[in-house]
Amino acid sequence: MANNKLYKGSLTTIILKLLNEGDKMYGYEITQKVKSITKGELKITEGALYPALHKLEAEGLLEVEVEKVDNRLRKYYKLTEKGAKETQSKLEELQDYIKTMQLLVNPKFSLD
Amino acid sequence: MKVNKEQIDDLYTFTIKHFVEYYDLQTELVDHLANDVESIWEKHPNVPYKDARDKAFKKFGVFGFMNAIEQRQKAMHKRYLKFLWTELKQWFTLPKVLSTILLFLIFHTAFSTSLANYFFIAFYSIMVVLVLIKSVQLKRQFNTRKKASHKKWFLEEIIFKQAGSSSIGLIAQLHLLVNFSNNVFENYYFVLGFSVFSTLLSLWLFVSFQVLPNKAEQLLKTTYPEFSL
Repeated sequence: MANNKLYKGSLTTIILKLLNEGDKMYGYEITQKVKSITKGELKITEGALYPALHKLEAEGLLEVEVEKVDNRLRKYYKLTEKGAKETQSKLEELQDYIKTMQLLVNPKFSLD
Repeated sequence: MKVNKEQIDDLYTFTIKHFVEYYDLQTELVDHLANDVESIWEKHPNVPYKDARDKAFKKFGVFGFMNAIEQRQKAMHKRYLKFLWTELKQWFTLPKVLSTILLFLIFHTAFSTSLANYFFIAFYSIMVVLVLIKSVQLKRQFNTRKKASHKKWFLEEIIFKQAGSSSIGLIAQLHLLVNFSNNVFENYYFVLGFSVFSTLLSLWLFVSFQVLPNKAEQLLKTTYPEFSL
C-alpha cells in the first residue's frame, strides 16, 4: 500500500487531471477511479476529498451541476476554463518535482 | 441492490446527527454514503443497511465530516465576500459613481463645518439605529424563509445574519464618541480621510443590509444548483 504521506499535496493535481480527461464526475466516482487506475495502490480518503473539491470550487477552478439519480440528488464537478489552465500548470509543476526527485534518488556521479 | 427512499431519509438524518447542518453538503454526503453502501452490497449483499452505512462513514476518518464542513463554510464565506465586492465595485463605475461622489461631498461639507462633531455623532447614531432595525428585520425575514423551506443554506445565513453581526462592532465603539476631541476636525487630512471612511462605510452597510438580502434568491440559485430542485 502506498505511503499516503508521500501523496499529500498531490490531491488537487489528481482531481484536476481526472476531470481534465473526462466530462464531469461526482465525488464517489473520483475515489473509485483513482483506486481503479492505481489498482488499489492509492486510496483517496473521503475526509480529504470533499474539502479539496469545495476548495477548488471556491477558487473558480471547478463548477457544479446537480442531477436527480435514482432517488437522490447527485452533484457533479467539471473544470472551468480557469481550471483547465490550472491543470496544465499543476501537471508541469508535478513533472518538475518528479525530475528533481529522480536526480536526488538516482544521482549520476562523475569522476571528471 | 439500491438504497431505498427510507434509507436515503435515514442518511440525511445521519448527516445531521454528525453536525452537517446545511442541505447542500448533506445532499453530497448522502449520495456518497449511498454509493458506498451499494458498493458494499455488491460484494456482501447480506450486510444489514446500518452496518454498511457505518462502514461507509468510518472511511471519512476520525474527524468524520468535520473537515468537509469547515472547508464548505470557508468556501461560502469567500463566495459571500465575492458577491459583496461585485456589488460594491458598481458604486465606483458609471453611473453609480456619481452617487458615491455626491455622498462623499455631503460628508466632506458636513465635516468641514464648525458643527462637524455634531454631524459625526448624528451620522453614527443614525447608522447604529438603522443597523439595529435592519438586523431585526433581516432576522425575521430569515426565520420566515426557514419555516417555508425546511432546508438550511449556509450562504443564506451569511446574507441575512452577517450584516447584523457588524452592528455589534459599531455599537461597541459608541463609547468613543464622548472622547472625541473638538480639534480633530480642524485637520484637513482628517476631514478628508473621515469623509472617505464614512462614504465607504455607508456603501458597505447599504450593500450588506439592503442589496444582497434583496438579491438572496438569485444569489442562492447561482450558488446552489440544488436550490431550485
